[in-house]
Amino acid sequence: MIIRPEALKVLAKHRTNEAVIPAMMAAWEWPAYSTRPELDFPIRILMGHNAGVGLGVALAHPERKVWVLNGDGSQLMYLGYITDIANARVKNLILFVFQNGQYEITGGQPIPLEEELDLATAARGLGIKNSYCFDDLAEFEARIPDILRQDGPTFVNLKVVRGGSVKTPKPNVQETIRSFMAALQSGE
Amino acid sequence: MARADLVREELERCGIEYLVWLPDSETRSFYDTIMKSPTIKLVQVCHEEEAVGVHAGLWLGGKRSAVLIQNSGLLHSLDALRAFTMDMRIPTLLLVGYRGYHGMLEGKKPVDTAAVVLEPVLDALGIKHYLFDTDEEVENIGKAYREALAEEKATAVLIGREYD
Repeated sequence: MIIRPEALKVLAKHRTNEAVIPAMMAAWEWPAYSTRPELDFPIRILMGHNAGVGLGVALAHPERKVWVLNGDGSQLMYLGYITDIANARVKNLILFVFQNGQYEITGGQPIPLEEELDLATAARGLGIKNSYCFDDLAEFEARIPDILRQDGPTFVNLKVVRGGSVKTPKPNVQETIRSFMAALQSGE
Repeated sequence: MARADLVREELERCGIEYLVWLPDSETRSFYDTIMKSPTIKLVQVCHEEEAVGVHAGLWLGGKRSAVLIQNSGLLHSLDALRAFTMDMRIPTLLLVGYRGYHGMLEGKKPVDTAAVVLEPVLDALGIKHYLFDTDEEVENIGKAYREALAEEKATAVLIGREYD
């Protein structure tokens, strides 16, 4: 099993100018490791929709890669987004789903099926053929450069341990929107 | 001119580049018409609430988009509308198929309650709504869109009868 902040550090190391849209626990943690906060759009005020926001941004900016960082309970609410992404054939989107088997943000209640849930297979069936699952950090670190280089859409399921989260201050939503839109338009 | 073409032209005048939608009975012939548009791209979703999320992403990416769903789908979308349009203030034009509207006007027993609850629900969320029933009312689409942009909120145009 992977410690989520360790996986985020790996992604941060490989990030160049990707737009990153984290939700749930990843939205609290990613800002601690992000080197391009102006290109981040963390969503803390509703569950499940960062995959849709990622699809919209990916369609609007086909020249820029988009990473969506989601949680398992959050993704389970809107599995249809996986098909929407596949149907739109966006080559520039990678959907990462951290699976800890619980609703960590609401106190650790189990999600349906918990660790039994096979999201990588589900994603393949829902249309994203480039679908991977990792439960070992070293293997993830070894394979991720190739995965990041390939054409998407791509789905990456990361099996993570419960807890161990890192909290960052809550951002101002309007300031985040302004800086994110400006950074996307800048093309940098 | 067919109603579907009137709507396509009005959306083109608004500069709409993407229409995020899920098909419904009021808009079934609209698909073929919008596919002919040189400037508007369709993005199909599996669930109406997803249309709001994708629209939000397009807006953040600097694109002009609108959402096309049915009234029962609007009811599905409430939490996304709350967060994206009320909390984040993302301008959102909702084109909503008003299934059951004419039956309701004629006092017929409704097939279901989708038409009955639509306007009260929009009112409760503070979403201003306009009707598009007669051809002349197609201008309400542009009016609602400009209002959504100016006031950074959601507005809705309720489509009273099918396109042809």
